[in-house]
Amino acid sequence: MKPLLRTTVAALAAAVAFSAVAQDRVVRIGVLMPISGPGSYFGVMDKEGIELALERFRNGVNGYKLQVQYEDSACSPLQATNTAKRILDQFKPHVVIGEECSDASLAIAPILNEAKVVQLNVGSVTMKLTESGYKYTFRIFPNAEQQSLPLAKVAYNTLKARTAVILHEKTNAGSDNAEGFKKPFEAMGGKVLATIDFGRDVNDFTAIATRIASLGKVDVLPTFALEGQQVRLSQALAQAKVVKGGGGRAVQMGSIWLPYGYDQKAGQAAEGYVRIVQFDPTEKRKMVQDFVSAFKAKYGADKVPTHINAHAYDAILLVAEAVRRGGHDSESIRDQLSKMKGFEVTTGTISFDAKGQTSDLSVVHFVETQKDLSWKALNWQ
Amino acid sequence: MSDLVALVVQQSLNGVYLGCLYVMVALGLTLIYGVLNQINFAHADFVTVGAFAAFFTATRLATRVLGLPDAGAYLLSLIVALGVGALLGLAVNAAVFAPLRRGDELRPLIATIGVSVLLENFQLWLFGPIPYQFDSPFSRETIRIGRIFFTAQSLLVVAVSASAIAALYAFMRFTFLGKALRAVAQDRETAGLMGINPNLLIALTIVIASALAGMAGALLGPVIVLTPFAGGTVIVKAFAIVIIGGFGNMQGTILAGILVGIIEAFTVQYLGSGLIDLVVFVLLLAMLVLRPTGLIAERKEENV
Repeated sequence: MKPLLRTTVAALAAAVAFSAVAQDRVVRIGVLMPISGPGSYFGVMDKEGIELALERFRNGVNGYKLQVQYEDSACSPLQATNTAKRILDQFKPHVVIGEECSDASLAIAPILNEAKVVQLNVGSVTMKLTESGYKYTFRIFPNAEQQSLPLAKVAYNTLKARTAVILHEKTNAGSDNAEGFKKPFEAMGGKVLATIDFGRDVNDFTAIATRIASLGKVDVLPTFALEGQQVRLSQALAQAKVVKGGGGRAVQMGSIWLPYGYDQKAGQAAEGYVRIVQFDPTEKRKMVQDFVSAFKAKYGADKVPTHINAHAYDAILLVAEAVRRGGHDSESIRDQLSKMKGFEVTTGTISFDAKGQTSDLSVVHFVETQKDLSWKALNWQ
Repeated sequence: MSDLVALVVQQSLNGVYLGCLYVMVALGLTLIYGVLNQINFAHADFVTVGAFAAFFTATRLATRVLGLPDAGAYLLSLIVALGVGALLGLAVNAAVFAPLRRGDELRPLIATIGVSVLLENFQLWLFGPIPYQFDSPFSRETIRIGRIFFTAQSLLVVAVSASAIAALYAFMRFTFLGKALRAVAQDRETAGLMGINPNLLIALTIVIASALAGMAGALLGPVIVLTPFAGGTVIVKAFAIVIIGGFGNMQGTILAGILVGIIEAFTVQYLGSGLIDLVVFVLLLAMLVLRPTGLIAERKEENV
């Protein structure tokens, strides 16, 4: 072989080998989220958070590039199942972030665990997700019990509520949250006058508000539904003079589900609304303020990030941290996540318990909506 | 007024209001079926288009450009939504329904599914998936008579629905075009032999039905969670109402709409809101089994 030809072949072989190594040094992250259907606003906000986080790791982490592929799972168990199978087959992810809706998250959990791929959940509350013994499932969103128990305690102990009407959407998430409130509230001596569930297709809440008004003295109304329905529900309750925002006496209570901006949408009906929040854009922590600034710089000065943006952003931070600590495939990333303790993100600090559930809820706090629709942080816990 | 009486009156009013919203959506469906013997699966999306047209008129065009007060802006948005619905009907008829009408009867039906998917995705691209907050100034006004309450918006919904129904009835009964339309509904070929242009009348039917859908969207906008999929949340109920009322029968649709609204309100009160669909669809199945012609028995010449 002539020297020139030999050199060319050697160079080509080296290039191919280098390319193979470079391709291998990638951590693939599949994102299963609703891009279509009524829950698609989750997908939009998730993507905003993820894209922003990826900018921080443009040059890779620990020599690994983070590669993301978005898929539409539509908040639907069936579509999420099919999408999970397809992405496992074609993209071969090391981590899958998703889904947002509890029913869809539950549907993909066994598939991902069977394939030994890490499932990182950022928005579902159903208890079953981390109570079913899945070894590859982790969740950075507080579960139903973690959200409902403080609500029940504050309702009974701080607000001195003795009667409640629980309102929830008819989903795994809604039912788990409702149950999570009912049991401890009744155990403390409170009385649940009614538990009212409704489908996601219910639009007009006047009849429900009328029914609640007819139930007599109601102290608190824990509510578990998506933002759009919550807005309409609060307005109907105000019109029926049930809640404080309409001149009534009952306090409506909400969970972390409700994104920042609900109060402005519900208007005066939101006055007096008490809820727990995990991500608070007004929180003074540097991590939070840096995130808010970066978010506004990228998406517009008038756009305030919601907890959905923040949780998705945090998911990438968490994967990157696992990679920084030596994770490079599903197994090693899983090991690193299992060991994760006190890792600071915008929604607090992440420490997973043995079941893969986030356990540090130190930043979770209560806020009350004021007359001018701003939040007043409350030191209740 | 005793507690029970007040409650019954209140839930009846809630039911009538809800029923009027359903009727506004269902009327267009029944009109198209009555004249064309065809089901329009894109009707929900016409409603959504109307809602978005009203939203942008009320919150941008009328207030920011024309400087109208909120109430005037919302009333204008009803008219704009009606017009946008009519134009959409005209366009979809010319582009899709008219060319397909000559062939197999199944093709226009399938085409309506295609139009529905297309409109949904186009709106998703144009408006995005994040819900829009569409508040009518009339929703903020609560009228209280003793212990009974209702919003000015619900009063407006009932008034607009009643006016639309009356106008449609008068058009059908007392105008030449209305009579011609009924003739086409009864026998398209014979109507054609009498000098009536069936294609023109069919186009008119689709335009009227779409205009009604557009206006229904404007009325629903402040009630529903406004996304590109919003119409889908009421369309299943609207189909049920059309079947319960007697497919293609206007009076039946109105009666069924109000009935379903009232049944829903009392189901919420006494059985639980989670059972609404169960109760409505048991009623639907019962009607199909016991009285397949619907509440008002079908007499072709009296339809539409």
